[in-house]
Amino acid sequence: MKACAVAMLWILSGMAAQAEEFVFNASEFEKKPYEFGGYLEQKFETLSLRGDSSAYRIAYPGEAPRDWLNRTTTTLELSGKTSWWGFTADARAQASYAADTLLERVSYGALMDGGLRWSAGPALTVDLGKRVQRWGKGYAWNPVGFVERPKDPVDPTASREGFVMAGVEWNRSFAGPVSALGLTGLVVPTNDNLNNDFGKQQNPNPAAKLYLLAWDTDVDLMWRGEGARPQSFGADFSRNLSPALEVHGEWAHTLDATRTTVSESGVSSSKQLDYSAYLIGLRYLTLGEITLIGEYYHNGGGYTADELDDYYAFMDRATVQGASASLSSKARTVAQSGYAKANPGQDYLYLKASKAEPFGWLYGSVALTTMANIGDGSWQIQPEVSYTGFSNLELRSRAILLGGPENAEFTTKTSNWRLEAYARWFF
Amino acid sequence: MKKLIALSLAAVALFATSLSQSAIDGVAILQKVDRNLEPESYEMYRKLINIEPDGTKKEFVLFSVKKGKDNVAALFLAPASDKGRSTLRQGDNMWLYVPSVGKPMRITSQQSITGGVFSNADILRIDYTEEYTVTRAEDQGDTYLLTLKAKTVEVAYDQLKMVVDKKTVLPLEIEAYASSGMLIKTLRFKDIKDFGGGIKRPATVETDSPLYKGYKSVMLYSGLKKRVVSDEVFTQGFMSRLEELRK
Repeated sequence: MKACAVAMLWILSGMAAQAEEFVFNASEFEKKPYEFGGYLEQKFETLSLRGDSSAYRIAYPGEAPRDWLNRTTTTLELSGKTSWWGFTADARAQASYAADTLLERVSYGALMDGGLRWSAGPALTVDLGKRVQRWGKGYAWNPVGFVERPKDPVDPTASREGFVMAGVEWNRSFAGPVSALGLTGLVVPTNDNLNNDFGKQQNPNPAAKLYLLAWDTDVDLMWRGEGARPQSFGADFSRNLSPALEVHGEWAHTLDATRTTVSESGVSSSKQLDYSAYLIGLRYLTLGEITLIGEYYHNGGGYTADELDDYYAFMDRATVQGASASLSSKARTVAQSGYAKANPGQDYLYLKASKAEPFGWLYGSVALTTMANIGDGSWQIQPEVSYTGFSNLELRSRAILLGGPENAEFTTKTSNWRLEAYARWFF
Repeated sequence: MKKLIALSLAAVALFATSLSQSAIDGVAILQKVDRNLEPESYEMYRKLINIEPDGTKKEFVLFSVKKGKDNVAALFLAPASDKGRSTLRQGDNMWLYVPSVGKPMRITSQQSITGGVFSNADILRIDYTEEYTVTRAEDQGDTYLLTLKAKTVEVAYDQLKMVVDKKTVLPLEIEAYASSGMLIKTLRFKDIKDFGGGIKRPATVETDSPLYKGYKSVMLYSGLKKRVVSDEVFTQGFMSRLEELRK
C-alpha cells in the first residue's frame, strides 16, 4: 500500500513537473521603469612576439626583445536605462584592467554611449548625448562611417565608443515600391575638450543620412560637412538576391583631404587630395548552412605598397638601438598617424566562413576568417570557436596567425600569432 | 453485367468523392486559419524553449507586434545575453538588430536567430495566405488536409501539409517540406486557450525535425491581443526602440 502511494506521488510529481515545463505568463515580463544590465568578461591571450620588430620597440620602449608574452584582461560593462513621458535616459560605461608580462593598463570607466532621447512617437526622435553611429553595410570595413570611430576588422562586432552629438531622426512608411524612408541629421561639436579625437578645431561638424527601402533594397545616401574633418559624401546598398544570398556595397568620396607620407629617411610631406573609397561584398548561405562573407575594399586615401615600404624602412632605422632621440621621437609620432590605422593600405580582401551548430552541436559555432592586403601580399588567418549554450554565458576562443613577405603589413605587427580565449557573463 | 454495375458504382463513388473534395474551399479555410490564429494586427509575448536530447533547456522571451499582412517586429526580453536584440520582417525582407553591432543586418528566413528547430520564418511568421497557395484540400472526417505551395522561392518552406480541425478551424499539425520533397520539420499545435477579445487559439506550438534528431523546440503564447501600431514601427530606424511599445 505504502509502495503504491509512493508510486502515485512520484507519478503525480512527474506530471506536475511536465505541466510546469510549459507554463508562461507574460505578466512576468512587465515593463519596469528602470533597467540595468551588462557583462563581465575575462580574457586570456598568449602572443608570439616579433621581438626584433620596430612595432615591438614602439609598443614596449626600452624592453629587451622577447619571443612571447601572456596577457589577461578583465572588462566590466554596465548599462542602464529609464523612461518617462516619451523621454529615455540611458548610459553604457566600460572599465577594464589589462596586465601582461611587461605592462599594466587600467581604465577606470569610460562612457561608451549615453544621453537623453525624446520620442515624439515612432516617427520622430530627438537625441542628445554620446552616441555610436554605425553607417554602412560592410561587415569588416565601412568607408561611409563618417561620424564614428573606425571598426576593428579583426573584431568587427566589438563595441565602440561614440562621439558627443545632437541628432534628429525621422522615419516614414509608405505603400508601394518605396516602402520606408528615414532621415537623420546630426551635429558633432568639436573643440579642445569635446570630441577632440574627431577634431581639435572648434567646429559644429554637420552630417546627414537619407535611408530608403526601395524595391526591396536598402539604400543610404550620406553626407558630412566640412569642419574638423574634410567634406565627404557617399552611398550604400544591401539587397537579398535570394533567401540565401545578400549583396552589399558602399562608396565614399572625400574632398580636399590631407595626406601625409614619410620617406625612408624620415622626411614628412603632406598634400591635399580628393579620393574615393569603396567596398563590395556578399553574404551567402550554402546548402550545408555555412555562411560565407566576402568583401573587397579599396581605399583611395590609403598607402601604396611602396609608401608602406618607405615607412617600414624608416621605422626600422629610427627605432634601432643607438638611433638619435629626435629620430625615435619622430618614429613615435609617425606611428600614431595615418600609418597606425588598422589597415593602412589601399586594397584588401576579406573572407569569412562560419557554421552555426556544426555536427549538430547546438549553440556552438565555428568560423575561419582570412584578410589579405592585396598590395603587399601579406595576410591574416583567424580560426575561431564559440559556444553560447550556458544561459547568459558566452565562451569564445580564437587564434590569429599572420604571414606574408617580409616588410609587409601583417608581417610588421608586434606579434606573428596570438591565441585568445574569453568568457563573458551577461547579467 | 455485374461487372458493369460494379464499375458504374465505383465511378459514381469516385465522382462523388471528387465532388465533395472540390466543394471544399481550401482558400477560405486557410484565410480562416490565419484569422483564428491571430488578429491581422496584434501584440503578443512568446517564450521559446529549445530542448536538447539530454533535457537541457534554453529559453528566450520575445515581445512581438504585427500589422497588416506582412509586417512583423519582435524584441528579445530574455535571456540577458540576448536582451535588446530585435528583428523586423517586411514581406520577404528580414533584419536583425544587435545592440552591440548597432545596425540592422539582413538575415534569411531559413536561418534561426535562436538556434534550435524554429527558423526565422517560424519566429516572424506572417499570414499563411500571404506566402502559400492552396493546391489541394481534402476532407478527412474531423479534419481537413490542406496542401500548400510556396508562392515564391523566398518562402522558407516549399510545401506545407496542414491538418486543420474542422470544429475550431485551427491547425493541429503542419509538416514543412523542402523543394526536394524532404520533410524539414513538423509543427504541432496544442493547448487551446482563450486569450480574451474573441481570440481562442493554441497556446503551445511544438516542433521537431528529422534534421535535428532528439531535439525539440516549444513556443508558448501569452498576452495575445489586438493592437494597431503606427506603420513607422516596422522600419529599421525603430528597431532599437521597440521597447517603447511595451506598456
